[in-house]
Amino acid sequence: MRYRIGLLSFLFLLNLSLMAEITVETGKNTGLRTWKWVHEGISLQLVQRLPDQTRAYVMAKGFPRDAADELATSCFFGSMFRNDGSKPMDFDLREWEVVQGTGTGKMKIRESWKQRFGSRKDIPKSARIGLNWSLMPTVQHFEPGDYNWGMTVYGLSPGEKFDLRLKIVVAGKPLQAVIPGLQCAPETVEKPVS
Amino acid sequence: MKKTLLILFLWLLFLGQAYASGKGLTLLKDRPAVPDFNLKDVDGNNYRFSDLKGKVVIVNFWATWCPPCRAEMPSMQRAWEQLREEGILMLAIDVGEDEDAIFEFTASYPVEFPILLDTESSVSESWEVKGLPTTFVIDQWGRKVYRAVGGREWDAPELLKKVRELKQVP
Repeated sequence: MRYRIGLLSFLFLLNLSLMAEITVETGKNTGLRTWKWVHEGISLQLVQRLPDQTRAYVMAKGFPRDAADELATSCFFGSMFRNDGSKPMDFDLREWEVVQGTGTGKMKIRESWKQRFGSRKDIPKSARIGLNWSLMPTVQHFEPGDYNWGMTVYGLSPGEKFDLRLKIVVAGKPLQAVIPGLQCAPETVEKPVS
Repeated sequence: MKKTLLILFLWLLFLGQAYASGKGLTLLKDRPAVPDFNLKDVDGNNYRFSDLKGKVVIVNFWATWCPPCRAEMPSMQRAWEQLREEGILMLAIDVGEDEDAIFEFTASYPVEFPILLDTESSVSESWEVKGLPTTFVIDQWGRKVYRAVGGREWDAPELLKKVRELKQVP
């Protein structure tokens, strides 16, 4: 009987591991890396953004050079979060952790930047609103079929490596996972020769 | 014993694959009433949402820089071409941009339904929009009935059917 329970537990865990997957790819044309975490149809895709990409994006929105530099060197990722599973899910980025060695930090979420730039008279309100909506929502609820695109920010310097400890709630049940070996885009990337 | 384990293993494997993807519209069971707003469209016309009571309205929150928002616009236009004759309205509310951004966008993505400007993003916040695009289907009594977070193919028959069914409710 114990053998049977042990084997069933093993098979169940095997099945869970089959459902959770992390892949890493390097863009053929850009040289930028993409990490994709998938679990039961829920997926989070993180694509490196070069500091220059972010700098140009926020300056076009009206951020002055110093603020644009600060944003550009804060480790932005283009992010796609999807629920293609069959159960509702929730996330709260305030609970996620940026792990480096034994230290942990928090992500730079919408509210962090509102606080950071809220009192700057030289930053147009339209620029702050634009940045706010470009970032992944801090708290979100996805029914099956829902998704968001948005940038996520990890508050690290270009080229730094980290693990992301993410927490989501699927149909009321908390789920934790780690995406290991993420790396902020460096200042420049050598494009692969095609 | 071996047969039982094999069946169990196959069943567990199937369970892992059975979470089929599906888009569509989420039914909001509590049907919350929407806050009223007064916004201008890109031509300067005023739209007060409470004036639309009695109509089924699709309200889409979007921005020109948002790739999924851009991607769903052609299907919204196709849906609008079918629905406008049936008295169903469609509004796209741009969040945080001005007329210039819209004109640049509509030059390459022509749409005929009204585009309103929520430059301060106050309406988006009061409607509890968290990410773009987010779309609500509002019934004749000004209540949110369906929500879609992320882009959709708005002219898909199953989506149009749900919207049309709302109009048939007396």
